[in-house]
Amino acid sequence: MTVVSLVSALTRDELEARLYEAEETLRAIREGEIDAVVIKGGATEQVFTLEGGSQSYRTFMEAMDIGAAAFDAEGQLLYANQALCKLLDRPAGALSGQALLDILDAVNQTTFRRLLTQALKERQSAEIHVRVGDSERSFLLTGAPIDFGIVSGVAITFTDISEREQIAAAKESERLARSVLASANEAVIVCDRSGRVTHINAAAERICAEAPIGKPFEEAIELTFADASELMSGADIVAMATSGTPVQGLEAAVKTSAIDVTDVMISAAPLIVSGDRTQGCVVTLINLSQRKAAERRQALLMGELDHRVKNTLAMVLAISARTAAHERTIEDFQKSFSGRIQALAATHTLLSNASWENLQIKDVLRVELAPYATLSSGRITMEGLDISVDSKTAVSLGLVFHELTTNAVKYGALSTRSGKLSVRRLGLLEDGALQIEWEERDGPLVTPPTTSGFGQTLISRSLGSGPNGGTKLEYRPSGVVCQIVIPKYGHFLS
Amino acid sequence: MSQASNEPVKLVLYVAGETPKSLAAIRNLEKICSEHLAGKYKVEVVDLKKQPQLAREHGIVAIPTLVKELPVPIRKIIGDLSDTQKVLVHLSVEG
Repeated sequence: MTVVSLVSALTRDELEARLYEAEETLRAIREGEIDAVVIKGGATEQVFTLEGGSQSYRTFMEAMDIGAAAFDAEGQLLYANQALCKLLDRPAGALSGQALLDILDAVNQTTFRRLLTQALKERQSAEIHVRVGDSERSFLLTGAPIDFGIVSGVAITFTDISEREQIAAAKESERLARSVLASANEAVIVCDRSGRVTHINAAAERICAEAPIGKPFEEAIELTFADASELMSGADIVAMATSGTPVQGLEAAVKTSAIDVTDVMISAAPLIVSGDRTQGCVVTLINLSQRKAAERRQALLMGELDHRVKNTLAMVLAISARTAAHERTIEDFQKSFSGRIQALAATHTLLSNASWENLQIKDVLRVELAPYATLSSGRITMEGLDISVDSKTAVSLGLVFHELTTNAVKYGALSTRSGKLSVRRLGLLEDGALQIEWEERDGPLVTPPTTSGFGQTLISRSLGSGPNGGTKLEYRPSGVVCQIVIPKYGHFLS
Repeated sequence: MSQASNEPVKLVLYVAGETPKSLAAIRNLEKICSEHLAGKYKVEVVDLKKQPQLAREHGIVAIPTLVKELPVPIRKIIGDLSDTQKVLVHLSVEG
């Protein structure tokens, strides 16, 4: 049939329809709305797609091991490869149309759509989380622009990073656990089910044997339990904890090369990592050495105090008896006795403030002279008396200074305005004893007393007598001079 | 042009496998049918990739192409059916 005969055979309507169809086809091609054409070759028709590299992108995607999908510019799925179906646990070909987006929750859908839009322009990556079967999986998506012949779109690859994330999370968790262990002040030792040490922190390393990892607990650390030494051992504690029974607050002595750790409080708890099964135990050891040392020191001090109280009471009795023997009236007795007891008390106060240690001669003297020092300012001089003495010497010195002061106030240099007093260090004697001198001058004329009072006795006897110590009292007319010798063991002047 | 009241719209969509425009046409047609022709249409999708000889029946040249077989007259809509209004005009069902 010729063109003319064909045209003449058609009605006007049919002609118009054909013209319209031809125009529409051209428009659709021009606007890119079609991507395949039918070509008639002889008796058969053939379809040619206009996807450029033909079906090459699909063939390529199918050959890939990693999950991949192609989307058009509107974000509609064109194709998802089998690897992606497998990755998302869906039957082959099940991810068409909306199916892929439907398996994502709202948050991940938003991430996905954003990636689709951004990847039209340039390569972009995003992470999404999808529930696949029973597990939550994480995928790293990488999208890049791609041309499918006449249309452009986005190709997205899916990489399962769940394991990588889990490994990273596990590593982070282990790192955290290790730093918790390392940061603990207390010694921490972790044992496995067989009671062998698997982990240990720095605090525990100090009190453990060398290279404790892998050793049984009782070999790694040597413990002695004071309360039940025969019945209990480190291995028993670990065995109890490993079997699920926690052990709390047992006190034990530890044998270690670390000198500052001698006593510990030991606790052990079952180590449950996951599920109900005990994986071993965690043993913590708190250093009780300081507390124990404090307890021992306190016990010692209590004993010392007991001893001192008895000594002091004996001294009070002696002072009372001697004072009574030398004083004539009750009033005199009361005055002398209370003065002496006050001197004793003042020295005791000083001693207890200084924890019975390191009290200096000048402190003892200052306390005795305190009531007169303001009145006599400038008249009293002290020189070289910053020497520590032991508590016994301090008590004796306190009594001696009290008697000398009382005497000076009553009859000597401190009884007048012009009198002067100097107390100074003379020096060390050959045997190491320390000599100090009390010298009064410019006071009233002194005459030696006719009778020897207790004060005098106390002065001469307080620090012993003979070459190792004692006092020498002289009633010079210009003023009283007393040389006091403190034995070598009583002072700390080197 | 009027549509017979009880006659369903019979449509044939010609596609070529899963080319992007074929997929787009299927998607667009599904949307149009569900939104404007609810319950009143019958669609047949013909994959010319598998059965190219079927192109002959309606003289198909460009793919995708939608053919409205019923109600007569037969109408062809060439392209991916992205212009909904145009499709509705040709199916004579708009409004």
